[in-house]
Amino acid sequence: MLLLLAIWWAVAAAHIWPEVFVPAPGAVWEQLWLTSSVHEGRRGYSGYLLHEHLLVSLGRIGLGSLYGVIGGIAAGLLIGLVPTVRTLLGPLVTFVRTLPPLAYFSLLIIWFGIDEPPKIWLLFIAAMPPVAVATAEAVRGVHEDYLNAARSLGARRWQLPYRIVLPSALPEVITGIRVAVGVAYTTVVAAETVNGVPGIGGMIRDAQRYNQTDVVILGLLVIGASGLLIDTFLQFIERLLVPWRGRA
Amino acid sequence: MKYRLIPALALALSLTACGSDTGPAQEAGGAPKEIRIGYQLIPNGDLIVKDQKWLETALPNTTITWTKFDSGGDVNTAMVAGSIDIGLAGSSPVTRGLSAPLNIPYKVAWIFDVIGENEALVARQATSIADLKGKKIATPFSSTSHYSLLAALQGAGLAESDVTVVDLEPPDIQAAWTRGDIDAAYVWTPVLGELRKTGTVLITSKELAAQGKLTADLAVVRTEFATAYPEALRTWLVQQDRAVKLVRSDKQAAAAAVGRQLNLDPAEAGRQIDELVLLDGKEQLGADYLGTPEQPGALAENLRSAAEFLNAQNKLPAVPELSVFQQGLAAKDLHDAFPG
Repeated sequence: MLLLLAIWWAVAAAHIWPEVFVPAPGAVWEQLWLTSSVHEGRRGYSGYLLHEHLLVSLGRIGLGSLYGVIGGIAAGLLIGLVPTVRTLLGPLVTFVRTLPPLAYFSLLIIWFGIDEPPKIWLLFIAAMPPVAVATAEAVRGVHEDYLNAARSLGARRWQLPYRIVLPSALPEVITGIRVAVGVAYTTVVAAETVNGVPGIGGMIRDAQRYNQTDVVILGLLVIGASGLLIDTFLQFIERLLVPWRGRA
Repeated sequence: MKYRLIPALALALSLTACGSDTGPAQEAGGAPKEIRIGYQLIPNGDLIVKDQKWLETALPNTTITWTKFDSGGDVNTAMVAGSIDIGLAGSSPVTRGLSAPLNIPYKVAWIFDVIGENEALVARQATSIADLKGKKIATPFSSTSHYSLLAALQGAGLAESDVTVVDLEPPDIQAAWTRGDIDAAYVWTPVLGELRKTGTVLITSKELAAQGKLTADLAVVRTEFATAYPEALRTWLVQQDRAVKLVRSDKQAAAAAVGRQLNLDPAEAGRQIDELVLLDGKEQLGADYLGTPEQPGALAENLRSAAEFLNAQNKLPAVPELSVFQQGLAAKDLHDAFPG
């Protein structure tokens, strides 16, 4: 990490390329302060402080991922448990999964407007398939013995998915959720191309237009760092919920 | 993130760096081997010159490369990378290019058009700009329309915080307008035409220009190129002047040429040309525009006021001196091309 920082600093200091291409680490550092404070009567970047941009984006990611996880688990259970649904929904999930977000975002704008709904929809559509696929695979992989054991102990048919299938599929589902949150994070920049300020993606896009490369790099670093934090948090949740994972 | 970022940047940079090595090579006769032009789809004289191949005819030993750009910001980037010699950019991106930190070594050599009735503020219900208080107004950020919108608000005594300004690209503006998500928009044709059908025009860029808030599409030429090939630049200027004169003398031929380039029927192309204000070489030497080498024109002040606006928007670290913009006008080349 330190070595990379040193290389970056050296490349910038050598002035091989204009500062617009390689801003110095110092310039990015300065932008961190400028965008996080009120200075000369100006508030952060585009009227919002850096953490406000980040929180709004995280809120969108949280909401979109939440819907995506709920929808994904429901769809995954159905696909995994009911063969008819599998033949119908399975290809549909794969179909949606291959669509690039920017390609259909303009449709969402026409259908849902320019405020929050299209962004949440976009993140939902992006986050749902990984969870659905992971859940469906995990559900199909549940050991037949567990089900038979439960049935012989008197479990009802409707109790099986909730009491047996979901807990034993949980480790894979959580992996699916981690992937989904990552996908949602990469999609948020696409979602914030339209009316995205405040928002970290909107901030990057705005800075890009004005060739403010230092702000772009700051935004990327913030996204990377917060993404790392979120994933660490999810891993922590995973250890809490499925402590048996990796010890089978 | 950092791990990935740096190699990716380095790669991108080495690519652009390679690009900048291939500048136009000097030829014995003083004419460049190649002129690389960045153009945009705007119904002005540049498209006539391109369509009629006047430049290719006037400089038979020079290869003319036309590259299409979608925004002045991209033209700036190409100029920084040294991949084009002459480009078309709006007054707002040119202001940024001439100011720090970009400091692009280029000059304004020609005004392709002064933006007129092709950009306007349209409202759904309001009848005056002051009525827009508390309303939601859309415009593509960093564009000439964005600048004009804020100038119009200021002129009507509204602060930017009195309204909600939303950053939307023209197609999204049309969608949001149809859905009723926005109350007003400052935008250009063809979306402007759609909005005008159901809305009221509150102010146009032509009216703002009369109040001193001029926006224009400008030609920027790399200083290095202008110094090395003054004759080629003069030839280029003469062709642009010829195109403006064609619009005035033979409207139909001009409209047909522009229509071919924009895939429009000549009648519609002609209508779009009329919404712009085109100036010939002599007019551009006037005090309102580029002026003379001794007395730089008011365009420099327009650019400086655009810099003040960008600075207030936090998009420019500092407002340069007026002299920076005065030196950024290639009035001498224009004067040499149209003496007397």
